[in-house]
Amino acid sequence: MVKYRTSTLDRTFAALSDPTRRRILRQLAGGSRCVTDVARPHSMSLPAVSKHLRVLESAGLLRRRRTGRVHTLRLEAAPMRRASRWIGDYRRFWEGNLDRLEGYLKEVQAKEITHEKE
Amino acid sequence: MKRSRKADDFMGREFVITREYDAPRELVFKAWTDPKHLVRWWGPEGFTNPVCEWDARPGKRIYVVMRGPDGTDYPMGGEFREVVAPERLVFTSGAMDEKKRLLFEFLHTVTLAERAGGTLLTVRSTVTMTTPGAGRYIGGFEMGMTQSLVRLGRSVQPQG
Repeated sequence: MVKYRTSTLDRTFAALSDPTRRRILRQLAGGSRCVTDVARPHSMSLPAVSKHLRVLESAGLLRRRRTGRVHTLRLEAAPMRRASRWIGDYRRFWEGNLDRLEGYLKEVQAKEITHEKE
Repeated sequence: MKRSRKADDFMGREFVITREYDAPRELVFKAWTDPKHLVRWWGPEGFTNPVCEWDARPGKRIYVVMRGPDGTDYPMGGEFREVVAPERLVFTSGAMDEKKRLLFEFLHTVTLAERAGGTLLTVRSTVTMTTPGAGRYIGGFEMGMTQSLVRLGRSVQPQG
């Protein structure tokens, strides 16, 4: 049986619910960056970006390394992988439903044809 | 390229499934909106739906109880958001705990398009809410599904 750390899963999805935070994660997917680099393309103040960074940090989605005044951010892949696996499991439920619908539609149509013949 | 697109899909916390059915669109839509039809196919193979409150009109609540082959019940709740016959159905749904509290919720958009005598179905599902119980639920549910597949495997063994 697949095990998930459920509180992490919850925090991961909450953190991912915001488009700015998703964009930040995409920026970091290409490699580590410093805070000012990450903040630059966003049309908001540095403190506003920092607020989003703290949410991502507390959800365990990124790590911060301090070298003097420079803060370098790195993506943490594990929580995203867990969340992705969870979505995948739910997707399988839906795929099963849709497969079953195919069988049912065939059954219903076959019945209709029988009725027409009668 | 492929990898980054997948990452994007996930970043949106969603999945998209498409299926082509050899059936007219009106029939497929009916199978989705008439509870008499829905109970016959909803849920994994081998599951039944002893309770099916499924009144496909905007604002109406959804309550379906799926029963696994081992007798375990999996209640599901949600709400209809948009119903446009015979092409579009938008609703939320998610698993509930024993106190009928939602453990997680997805927003589903089902679209039906006519395709050379058949129907192209697309489901787009986005996670809108999760609780700490969400992960454990899917784990248990997966077990129920696996059991039903094992059972199905047995039932299709050659007879006599």
